[in-house]
Amino acid sequence: MPMPKTWKGKALPTVLTKLFEVENGHTLDVARRHGAYENIGPALFDKSQFELIEMVKDSGLRGRGGAGFPTGMKWSFVPRGGKPVYLVINADEGEPGTFKDRLCMDKDPHLLIEGMIISGFALGVRTAYIYVRGEMLPMIRRLNAALKEAYDAGLLGENIQGSGYSLDIYVHRGAGAYICGEETGLINSLEGFKGQPRLKPPFPAVSGAFASPTVVNNVETIMAVPFILKNGPKGYRQFGTDKSPGSKLFSIAGDVKNPGVYEVPLGISYMEFFDLCGGLDGELLGCIPGGSSAPVLTAEETKKATMDYESLASLKSMLGSGAVTPFNTTRDPVLILESIARFYAHESCGQCTPCREGTGYVDRMVRKVARGEGRDGDIDMIKDLADQYEWTTICAFAPGAAWPVQSFVTKFRKHFDEYVAKNAKHTEPRPLEAVRPGAFW
Amino acid sequence: MADLITINVDGKDVQVPPKTQLIEALRQNAAIDTPAFCYHPDLKVAGNCRICLVEVEGPRGFALAISCHMQTAPGMKVRTQLGSEKVVKARKGVMEFLLVNHPLDCPICDKAGECTLQEHYMGQGRHESRLQDEVGKQYKGGADHRFVDAKGEDRGGKRIDLGPTIVLDQERCILCTRCVRFMDDVAKSSQLDIAGRGDHAYLTTFPGKPLDHEYDLNTTDICPVGALTAKHFRFQQRVWMLKSVESIDPSDSLGANLTVEYNNGKVWRLMPRRNPEVNKSWIANSTRLLYRELGRNRLTDGKIAGADCTMDAALAAAGSALGSAKRIALVASGHLTTEDNAALIALQSALGAKAEIFGGSWLKVGKPDGIAKSGDPVANRKGLQLLGITDNLDELAARAGEFDCLLVAGHDLWAADAARAAALESIRTRIVLSSWNDATTAKATVAVGIRAWAEVRGTMVNCNGRVQMLQACPAVPSSELEPAWQVLARLAAAVGSPLGWTSENDAWKHAAKLAPQLAGISYRSIGPAGQAIGGQKAAEVPAGAAT
Repeated sequence: MPMPKTWKGKALPTVLTKLFEVENGHTLDVARRHGAYENIGPALFDKSQFELIEMVKDSGLRGRGGAGFPTGMKWSFVPRGGKPVYLVINADEGEPGTFKDRLCMDKDPHLLIEGMIISGFALGVRTAYIYVRGEMLPMIRRLNAALKEAYDAGLLGENIQGSGYSLDIYVHRGAGAYICGEETGLINSLEGFKGQPRLKPPFPAVSGAFASPTVVNNVETIMAVPFILKNGPKGYRQFGTDKSPGSKLFSIAGDVKNPGVYEVPLGISYMEFFDLCGGLDGELLGCIPGGSSAPVLTAEETKKATMDYESLASLKSMLGSGAVTPFNTTRDPVLILESIARFYAHESCGQCTPCREGTGYVDRMVRKVARGEGRDGDIDMIKDLADQYEWTTICAFAPGAAWPVQSFVTKFRKHFDEYVAKNAKHTEPRPLEAVRPGAFW
Repeated sequence: MADLITINVDGKDVQVPPKTQLIEALRQNAAIDTPAFCYHPDLKVAGNCRICLVEVEGPRGFALAISCHMQTAPGMKVRTQLGSEKVVKARKGVMEFLLVNHPLDCPICDKAGECTLQEHYMGQGRHESRLQDEVGKQYKGGADHRFVDAKGEDRGGKRIDLGPTIVLDQERCILCTRCVRFMDDVAKSSQLDIAGRGDHAYLTTFPGKPLDHEYDLNTTDICPVGALTAKHFRFQQRVWMLKSVESIDPSDSLGANLTVEYNNGKVWRLMPRRNPEVNKSWIANSTRLLYRELGRNRLTDGKIAGADCTMDAALAAAGSALGSAKRIALVASGHLTTEDNAALIALQSALGAKAEIFGGSWLKVGKPDGIAKSGDPVANRKGLQLLGITDNLDELAARAGEFDCLLVAGHDLWAADAARAAALESIRTRIVLSSWNDATTAKATVAVGIRAWAEVRGTMVNCNGRVQMLQACPAVPSSELEPAWQVLARLAAAVGSPLGWTSENDAWKHAAKLAPQLAGISYRSIGPAGQAIGGQKAAEVPAGAAT
């Protein structure tokens, strides 16, 4: 299904997707014919690191991995003149519903490499890593082939294009865990340790990989950098809104006619976006706007929401990784939550008590309700348990695991109550209450 | 002490040291009991148990943060369980989660009574259980006690044999990683790790490999629950029955601090006692197992020519032998306290010119292990040197022919080096003061039982010149037994010059007269943490010490 080129008479941005539909766009020859690596020359090397970072700041580019942290600001935290700085590309795309980075690496690996050369030069990086999710074997092969081409063409390695700047890029294959997409978990995994997030401070920008300053950026973020260098911050800001400038890839799956990956300017409404994807299938019940950890939106909220960071924040949800999952009235929110809770219980790294025990506990509770064995009070308890682990852990996994639980049970309470009512004995008190410790202590 | 800074805790200003962990500042400076499972003052911070959560003011107002990782900074504003409902609720939540996958087998658990989980349930939890059978742990207490987790995976059983010293109860483990960090960072031998993730994670050794480090028993002390238990102490005693006295390691010159725990006239275990300047919170397995010797093969009365006799008879025989001897060799011991050796010097003065003192040891000196042993098995070698006793046992062996009487106090010469000790067998009368029926006792013509190290009050000086105290544990194999200094004082009286000492304190005062470096040091000033010679009194051991 080819991607639409225009929408409502306006051309859609192709910051990231220029080569997606070009045959053999992943090879150096074809990519160069379409303008790849044009930046790698005086356009880049005549600029100072400061200018480059200011340029990214001015463009308003925000991290596309999920948290939406301003990229230029992240870069400006890196201390200079001490230890070597590492650039690590987070390609451990694991958020359920997200499948944009794999497509980027598959279709246009040279854009990523070009972005890394520019970012690496801006940050003074000698060695960069691409941490790719272990399951994405075809993309790893494609990246390695592209790297070889770039090395052979003198675009990587010692003294790139006679500029005096050298950069080496290594592809690291992850061992497959959702938590390795968290930046410190990723760094631990990269160093060969168990993929468990680290205590902060120190933050990676100060002490990350190999105890050196490290910048971890998402694939999509870095792939937007060549466009910004070529067209300037203003050129990037022609798309999107004032606070959420630029374009973003959205991977949509669920009840629409044409699921897939789309590049759209930030700020368009969700309903417009669904039309772009061929229209909704059935009557909308709700929508997960940014990957499974983003709080779910009801149909009403979805109709109000626009695809930018601020609109979703005002609805107490988030843009996240841009994985949009609308579902229609034939779907069962209880079963959706059952599957999400199962995922987080399986993927919790097991480090912090609340997340380790809480995600599993909630998973078992939700499953119990889904089996039709729920009792009165169980739904409130599920919500309460999620509240208990929301903000009490090392990393953002626990809040990300709590939000879908909290939002599903509050926004689709009716469906959950119906499940509880299926249990003929749902009003009976729990047997344990007769021997609760509080009764005699 | 560095300049103190002011932080605000629950609205009150508190003076704390800068850049220390907030949990320590709260515990020590603000006197607020702050719970922790994974935090241990002598281990790296892991920050995973989350029970030490407090609210700290940041750019976006008060937010929950773990006090074990947070550093104190001037002007910091903190709310604890005393000033914040949010903290109370968060900790209750953590307690509830910890107990979801923890069995309620306190009645059969060795850790009950000294279990951090029990303590913090009473302190921070006290919630009513809302756990439902079908969503809780899947442990059904089957015949083989296998523990199947919520995912239906076998996580091992109730008694997994980890190695020669330790048994693991998998389902009690709360995954705080204290033991893992101890093995990684202190023992420097990564034998333990957490495998798996989520609530299906479990503690394990590497496949087919045992946990068999010389310091591995420390993991049973720092285990906050009953997951790791020591084979030697399992099911021996309920810990609340145990009484304890403070002592030090008698088998090494570092003098690792420990407590002797006893009940019913028997010592049941030795536990490390935290001293940041000596052994932190660790003792070696060999030290820990010394308690066994206290009840094994003891010399509880006297012996004359190998035949048992009463203590009085043995003492009389020894006294008359000393009185009638022409040349006497007295052998001091680095295994005895400074007081005992001071008494030996006093006995020499009582005997006059015919007695000569020898000292030192034939035991081999090893290398420091960097944890809780210096490698020198002679615990009080420094104390001997301070008293002016030199290392001249070889000279004694060479000149053995000159003497007709030998007195060995608390020193197993024949076990240390039987070949070199053989020369001493030419001495006609051999008086041995010993706690055990050891190789030297076997060579004695007169043997007198004395109390062992755990049963005496006294001091030893460690290899770094730190005077440390041993306190007397009342569990003694026989009420007849007396400390060596008392036996030596009796012998001095028997040869006609009573010392007039009534307690070990008199012996200590005599030692301080003999050794100028010990002057001005008293039992009171030594205290539980010891006192460095020529230095200030050591800082008090911080509250909230080990376990």
